[in-house]
Parts: sequence; C-alpha cells; structure tokens
Amino acid sequence: MNINLAKEFMKKLIDRAPSYGFDDAESCFTQDVSMSLHVLNGEVSSYENSSEQGVAFRGKINGRMGIANTTKFDDASVEYLLSEAKNNASIIDDDDEEFIYCDENNKVLKHIQLSGNYDKNTYDSFSKVGLSLERAILDSDSKIVAVDYLSISCGQGPMLTLNSKGLDSYKDGDYISVFAEARAEVDGVVKTAGHFWFGNDIDKFNEEDFVKVLNKKLLSKFGASSVKSGTYDIILGNEAFISLLSTYFGVFSSYSMQKGLSLLAGKEGETIASDKLTIKEVPMYEKALIKVPFDSEGVLTQEKAIIDSGVFNTALYNLKTAHKAGCASTGNGFRSSYASSVSISFTNLVVMSGSKTFDELCETVGTGLYITDLNGLHAGVNTISGDFSLFCEGFYIENGKIVRPVEQITIADNFFEVIKKVSDVGNDVISYPDGAGEMFSPSLIIKNVSVSGEE
Amino acid sequence: MLTDNQISMIIEAALGTKADFAEVFIEDRSSSSVGLLNNKVTSAFSGVDTGIGIRVMSGTNSVYVYSNDFDFDSLIKMAKEASSVVNSGEGAAMELMSKLKRYTPDYIISNALLKQKKDYIDFLKKAGDFASNFDPMITQTAASLSAGKRIIRVVNSRGVNIEEEQNRIRFSVQAVATKDGEKQTGRIAPGTMRGYEFVDEFPIIEETQKCCESAIRMASCGYAPSGKMPVVIGNGFGGVIFHEACGHALEATSVGIKASCFTDKIGKQIASPIVSARDNARIEGEWGSYHYDDEGNESSDLQLIKNGICTNYLVDELGSRRMGMKPTGCSRRQDYSYAPTSRMSNTYIENGDEDPKDIIANTEYGLYAANMGGGSVDTATGEFNFAVNEGYMIRNGKVCEPVRGATLIGKGSEVLMNIDHVGNDLKHAAGVCGSQSGSVPTNVGQPTIRVSSILVGGRDS
Repeated sequence: MNINLAKEFMKKLIDRAPSYGFDDAESCFTQDVSMSLHVLNGEVSSYENSSEQGVAFRGKINGRMGIANTTKFDDASVEYLLSEAKNNASIIDDDDEEFIYCDENNKVLKHIQLSGNYDKNTYDSFSKVGLSLERAILDSDSKIVAVDYLSISCGQGPMLTLNSKGLDSYKDGDYISVFAEARAEVDGVVKTAGHFWFGNDIDKFNEEDFVKVLNKKLLSKFGASSVKSGTYDIILGNEAFISLLSTYFGVFSSYSMQKGLSLLAGKEGETIASDKLTIKEVPMYEKALIKVPFDSEGVLTQEKAIIDSGVFNTALYNLKTAHKAGCASTGNGFRSSYASSVSISFTNLVVMSGSKTFDELCETVGTGLYITDLNGLHAGVNTISGDFSLFCEGFYIENGKIVRPVEQITIADNFFEVIKKVSDVGNDVISYPDGAGEMFSPSLIIKNVSVSGEE
Repeated sequence: MLTDNQISMIIEAALGTKADFAEVFIEDRSSSSVGLLNNKVTSAFSGVDTGIGIRVMSGTNSVYVYSNDFDFDSLIKMAKEASSVVNSGEGAAMELMSKLKRYTPDYIISNALLKQKKDYIDFLKKAGDFASNFDPMITQTAASLSAGKRIIRVVNSRGVNIEEEQNRIRFSVQAVATKDGEKQTGRIAPGTMRGYEFVDEFPIIEETQKCCESAIRMASCGYAPSGKMPVVIGNGFGGVIFHEACGHALEATSVGIKASCFTDKIGKQIASPIVSARDNARIEGEWGSYHYDDEGNESSDLQLIKNGICTNYLVDELGSRRMGMKPTGCSRRQDYSYAPTSRMSNTYIENGDEDPKDIIANTEYGLYAANMGGGSVDTATGEFNFAVNEGYMIRNGKVCEPVRGATLIGKGSEVLMNIDHVGNDLKHAAGVCGSQSGSVPTNVGQPTIRVSSILVGGRDS
C-alpha cells in the first residue's frame, strides 16, 4: 500500500465520521518495513524481512473519545472502524476530556529524518558485518566460547496523521541496531555479557570498538564473589541509571499524577532531588540521532528542565492532562504506532553531566560498589512507592580503585530517595533509544544504599 | 483471503531449489478490551489484525518474512526473496497438502467477543465498588478485561495443513493501599481459554477482598531482612521461579546452541529427588493451552523432570535440527510478526504429599513468599531474580509479621537441588512469558514448596 492510497482511506474515514455522529475525527496510519539477521556458529542462522501497516481511527462524540484500528483497508473496514469507535466512545465514563487538535499556525507538520543510507541495509551487507563481528568477538579472547545471540536489525517507516481540524502531520525515519551477547567460561564458571549499538549508517558501525567494550564487560566478570550485606556508597553506572530512570519515568507523567499513581503529584516547584541532579528534555538534542520537533497530537515539542538542580520544574503533559491541570500541553503526547493510543512519553531525556571522570568518581567513593547492571526491573520495583530490590552486577571499589567484580548481590532502595542521595555526577555519558527518542546519562554516585550479599 | 492453491504456490516459491522446508503461517486476530481507573471507564478498544509469515529452512538456517498485505503477487515475491538468501542445501520435494485438520474448542459455552463491552464493565465495576468501599486505606483501583480470538492456519512443504481457533480472556483487578505516603498494590490477573462463563463463575468479590487485604498489609509493614534463609514459596504463581530458573533453560532455544546450564542433562539429576515437573499444553481451557502449536504439530503433555531426573527438553523444528531430537509440539509465537521457537505452555511442579501447614510448621525461621511477582533469568549461568509481592516472616513454625520489598536471587540449578519440601496443593496461575518469539500466554504452577536456602535481598530498616 502506498501512502497516497492510505491517505485516501483516511480521508474517507474522516469524511464519513459526521454521519456516525462524531464531532471531531482523526486517523493515523503507520507503515513499518524492517529487516533483521542473526548469526550463530559462523553462519546466518536466521533472516527476517517484513512490511506491516495499519490504520487507527479516533473520534469524539459528546466529549468522549472512541478508538478502533485495523490492518485491512477495504470499504467494510471504514464501517467497522466508525461503528466500533462510536460504540467504544459511548461506554467511556472518564470525566477527563480528550482532544483532537490542530495548531492554527502549524497545520502541516513534516519531519523527514531519513539517513539516505537505508539502501545499504541488505542481506549481504548485514551478513558480512554479522559474520565478521562474531569472528572478531571469538578471536578477541580464548575464554570467549560462544556468541549466543547476535542480531543486526533495521527499520524504516512513516507515520501519517490527518484530522478534521486540518492537521496533516507526517514523519519518517530509519535506524539500525546491532546487539551481541557472548559467553565465556573459565574453570567451569560461565559468564555472559551483551553490548548494543544504535545508528543509521551500517558503514559507521565500528567493529573494533564494539568488540573491545563487549570483551571488557564480559571478561571483567570473572573472579567475582559476593560482598557482606550492609550499607554502601555506590556508583550507579550510566547504563544502570538509564535503566532505572526508564523504569521510573512514569512518576514524571502528569497522567500518573492526576490518577494518584505518582508520589510527585502536587510537587512541581518543590525540591525533590539533590541539587547535583538536572534532567532535561531536549527534543532537538544535537547529540541525539532522533530529533522530535512535534508530538503525535500535532503539538510542537519544547526544550525544558524536568528537574533543575534538584527542583521539580515541570511534569510532562499531553492535551488531555494539560486541560485538566489548566496549563498548556508540553508536547509529550505520543503514540508509537497506529495500534497504540496516545500516552505520555518523552523525546530526548538528558541527565546533565558533571565534571568528574569515571576514575574520579571511584576516588570520591573511596570504598564502595560500582553497579553496572540492574536485573529484574520489570518485577523487583514498585513504581508507585518507588521501592526497589534488584539483583545486580558490578565491582567492589577500595581505596578509590576497582579491585574485583561482585556477584549474587541485590541493592534495595527507593527511587525518590536515590535521586535525593546523588552526591556527584560524572561526565561519562552514554545514550540508549527510549521513549520517542533517546535517554542520555552519565554515572552517578549515590550515598548509603542497602546491599544484600553474604552474611 | 488466499486459496489453497495460492498457498501451495507460495510454499513452492519459498522452497526454491535449496531449502528443505517451507511453511506458511496465516493469522487472523480480533480483540476487544476495556480499562477502568478508579471505577471510571478510561479506555475501550476494538481491533482486528491479520498477517502472514513465510518461513524457509535449510539445515539450521532459517529465513522468516512476514507482511499484512495479502496481495498474492507481493507474497510470491516475498517468498522468492526469502528463498534467494538460502544459499546452500540439497532442497526437498514438496509434499501434497493434506486435507485441512481443523480444531475448534467445543467446550466454550459463551463467546466473550459476542458479549457487549458493558458486560465487561459491569463485572469489573463489581470489583471496583467493593475495593473502594472496603477500607479508607484503599485509595486507587484499576481493572481491565481483554478478550481475543486468534485463528491460525499452518501449511508446510511436508503436507501439514491445520487450522485452530484460540479464544482467550484475561482480566485484572488492582487495589492500591496508601499509608503515610507509602503505596502498595495488591493484584489478581486470572486468564483462561474457556468462554465468558469463566468470568461469570469467578468469585470476584472474594478475590478482590484478598487483593485489598494484601495491599493494606504490605503498606503497613516493614522491610524484609537480608541474607540466606529457608524460603517457603506459596502455590500458584510461586511457580514463576521454576518457569524462569528451570523452564527457560530446558527450551531448545538455549539447549540447542549449548547456551543452557542444562545442556546434555537428559537422564541426569538436576533437581532434588522429590521434584517432578511437567509442561502440559493439553489441559482443557487453561490459559497456556493449545491444540496445535504454531508449527502445526500437535501439542503434548511433557514430563520435564521425574524424581529430580531431567527427562525431556522443549523442542521446536529448528531445535530438533540442532539437537537431533523430535519436536515436542511446543513451538509458539506472539503473532505472525515472529518466527516461532520453543516455548512453555502450562508448566508446573507436580504435587508432593505434604500438607502445606506442616511445611510451615517444620520451618523454624525463614521467609514465607505467599505471593510472587515476576523475575528473570540468565539461562547460561542460571542466575535468577524474583520479586516477592507478599511476604511474611516465619518464626518457630508460625507465619508471623508481613514484610515487603524482598527479592529472591540465586542460581536455578542450586535452588532446584535445594527444594526440601513439596506440598500437595498444586495450583496454576496465568502469566505472560516474553522471549525470542514475543509474548505468549503461559501458566506457571506449583504446590507450596520449601527451598532450604535462598539469598533474600531485602532492606534492614
């Protein structure tokens, strides 16, 4: 299906909506073309190629929004979407009003971020990179016995939104990701580690750098033992903090606050974190691969501090929550595809870096732990109370230096306490795709964290 | 929709000259769901989704392409493209398509998709009304119900030709208790392959009450202690530990590439002799059940562990090629956008002969993990972690004060060997399992068991 046919189908939906009683109507179409390739034991073990598309309709009747979606683009689907959406709108009894919107000054929004490199993403180029990468990982050390998982994926596809208020928004972009997980064995002890690369030009994938990092992550785990249970100062590594922040991101959502699911409700303007901590949302962040000039509701995004030197500056709003709070949308209403409803998400979330190098953070800690990975984030956390107890991996720090890896330990604390206990911020920033963009963070020092290990 | 002749032509194009296996998977899904927050309907949804996946194999190489565009010429082109990247192999002749074997569940009395969303809402509001009036400490409630139908058709170059209709319903009720700014949740989330009669028969008030009581207790209690101790794990969802720490490591996905801590363990002892476990996809109406797997094989009731001895792995087509073992009918996928792989269905530790009360009475000091949350495992090292949603200290053989915030960590192989009591109160519980082929409905289950020593990650207050 080409985009013009999709547009015709969407226009038909919007034109027919009033006859079903809809006051406002909107349709969203997405198309995803993707490819992925896996390498195992010196050969391409699997290859996937796909093309998927679908369309969603949402419309307002008496202030209530009804939604429905389909992957079929025939006349029967027009009637299906309209009648199901009408039926769904009739049973909503939430008091919060939803909106279909168009900024009078920005009716046509277009953001095309195609790298121009997508044609290079072929079976041949990916298999060459994948096979070479597997070999290089195995050759980097004799202790590495297997690369259990190696995938190279890419994707591309437009999202088009049209509505009865005149909005015509279109965005398109492409990406490539490489992930590898390797296994090493020493004297019967098995360890695994994974590494990830994200970009939009396969020629910019640097095998040597990738292997170096993966090799270090994996081999540094040997010789690990537990630590005594107690309270430690820790360096929460950049990757670990990104995973924690991603898990708790919802506490900054105005939706969670309004529904009583975030303890930050009513705290805008108050100090909620250490003055060392500043977290900004930067939609057009220069270091980000993905720039996001407008959200899925047709609202322009804006740069803002969420936490500014410890002060909770603003929550993130979409049209619905902003209306309820009596403020303007902050441009944070996003849907990831036609099939998802609009919820609150972020563009590029940036934990502002400090001045210390990682080594200087170790020196500052003196004796403590460096936590590299947090596991079980989908289960061992209470996103409402902020409590977490997580299985983790990392290193023991003594006299300001990393001395040995640690294993079989958990750290337990509370997210709202953790952000208060940030005593130093490093400058070793990394990023990871998340939300509608990426998340950036350096490593942080957190004081007095409860650690469970051996007796 | 495609005709049988067109499907055969797609398979033939996919098979090409070098592949030894080609398969077409067609899926048609429809779903209907509602969500309530604080007893107001905040979401109502309807959707349909159809798609097709084409898989081609040559030895242990596999190519998978999928689309939701059913244009025949485009599909032939896709099949040829898939075939073109198979660059080695002897090829195989295509067998004649068998007569369609169709499985439709005959035990469903009331089709959930034929009900009105209002029926779902009335049911959920019973729970919400009860919870919000149960105690002033209950400050929020959330509830949802989702019903879906999935019709799968699998046709392959070996002549397999099956179709199955799968109907599933899952609902959840969550109550949040607040005390001094502390918020804790109690949650139930049953799932079934039965009809809407499952919902009608469900003791919703009784179960919502338990959920509220649990939230209130957890909001009012102190933190769990840290350290190694005996842990009694409650029945039902407690089986998530076995699922993660053992089940995944018995899947061909990891065993087939020797990345599992249970590689080459058939016939060997991997668990305490009082432990027997099964993966049974044939339990009628259970959440994780199915008749045909997503490769078109008949599902099975598989003994994984018998008296502590490893007896079977979960093997799919690709795994069977890697391991030289027969597929066990366990190949599953979330939907057509995933190639299938070996997955669990209803996985559980079998009943022992002890009364659960005696297991507690025989424990001088330890943790009673009455209700487990989720967790994860590294199948290569066997290291796992699990959250305890509702925990109590055991002192002098008695269940004492509730504790919150505990996580259990350890190595699967060690925990299985350290199970020293198995109760007689087997119960199943619905969950969703995520792995390489996406999220699939699975049941976990077990009777009450005791592990002689696990590291409890808590927080001494």
